[in-house]
Amino acid sequence: MSIYQINKILYLTDNDADFRKRIKENPDQVLKTFRLSEEEREALTSGAVGKLYQMGVHTFLLNHLSRYELFGVNRDNYLSRIREGMEYDERFEEGRMPVQYFVKEK
Amino acid sequence: MAKLVLAAGVPHPPRLVRDIEESPGKTKGEAMMKQVRRYVEKAEPDVIIEVDSDHFVNFFYNNLPSFCIGMAEEAEGPQETWCPMPRYVVRGHVPLAKALFKYGVHDKFDLAAAHELRLDHSLVVPLHFLNPSMELPVIPIYTNGFVSPLPQATRCFSLGRMLRRFIEAWDGKERIALIASGSFAMDVGGPLRGWTDTEWVETISGLLIRGQYQALARRATEERIAAAGNNSGELLNWVTVTGAVGNAKPLFVEVDDGYGYAVWNFD
Repeated sequence: MSIYQINKILYLTDNDADFRKRIKENPDQVLKTFRLSEEEREALTSGAVGKLYQMGVHTFLLNHLSRYELFGVNRDNYLSRIREGMEYDERFEEGRMPVQYFVKEK
Repeated sequence: MAKLVLAAGVPHPPRLVRDIEESPGKTKGEAMMKQVRRYVEKAEPDVIIEVDSDHFVNFFYNNLPSFCIGMAEEAEGPQETWCPMPRYVVRGHVPLAKALFKYGVHDKFDLAAAHELRLDHSLVVPLHFLNPSMELPVIPIYTNGFVSPLPQATRCFSLGRMLRRFIEAWDGKERIALIASGSFAMDVGGPLRGWTDTEWVETISGLLIRGQYQALARRATEERIAAAGNNSGELLNWVTVTGAVGNAKPLFVEVDDGYGYAVWNFD
């Protein structure tokens, strides 16, 4: 398991503007530089938030997929995706994603 | 000797800064931050010690201490692009931070220390409200609130007690305000985003109001914290602060959804 590598990709996406630009423009090339299993690569590049959650990716970091709209994830589909594979829970009904404000990047 | 003149706890939602700009006078958050600010002003502190948990901005899995003292001369934040608020330079207090580090280690707390810091929203939002213009120097104490295994809450309580002993042993005249940054219960980025564990929030605020701090530390197990949502480990910062307040009861504890606000006054 190299969940550390996925956590690191998401950490760098939030903390390193140059990395963020590269992973948005050329994700395949960037991902080549990380040691990911086929299953992890597939889960990440298909934006399978629920799968990544089950695999143990930290939710703070997972949330960056919606913030930066990577691999088809956005704030409108994030909650439904992370719940994929989970049993229904009545607390889901209270679920909502906050509005995201961004400081525009130059 | 230095003096603990005030302790407080506040949450750190970056959105509050924007909400206040757009609709002033409408949120409980604004009213509470102003109320806490008035007590901070009245206490006239010279230094702020802020107990906080970094959200993967300064620390990451490559190096993630349970407890760390910030001893940078100055640091900038919030670093996150998604924080709709001003970016600040926050001054540190190196001599006091170094002395705290040494005192803590000699007191058998195996602390880490960081001479360079990237500040996240959780450190800066309380200061935006409580330390306008960043006039006071700030010593951050980081607790690991988010990556299992969390430090035991009872250990955080002991850390707070040590902090009080340090303040009173420190050979200076500083008036010190101690601030916990964090919510009581919240889920961020998890499947329960938006839900609040109101039962846990009520338990926490009740124990705080009654001054039952050790009972709170005993009940705040990692399992209970995790059940309240992935952001709920910030309670450890509150527990640390309660370790420092001794037998004093808070002047008030106010709850707003998963957020808590409280002030202890020692003057």
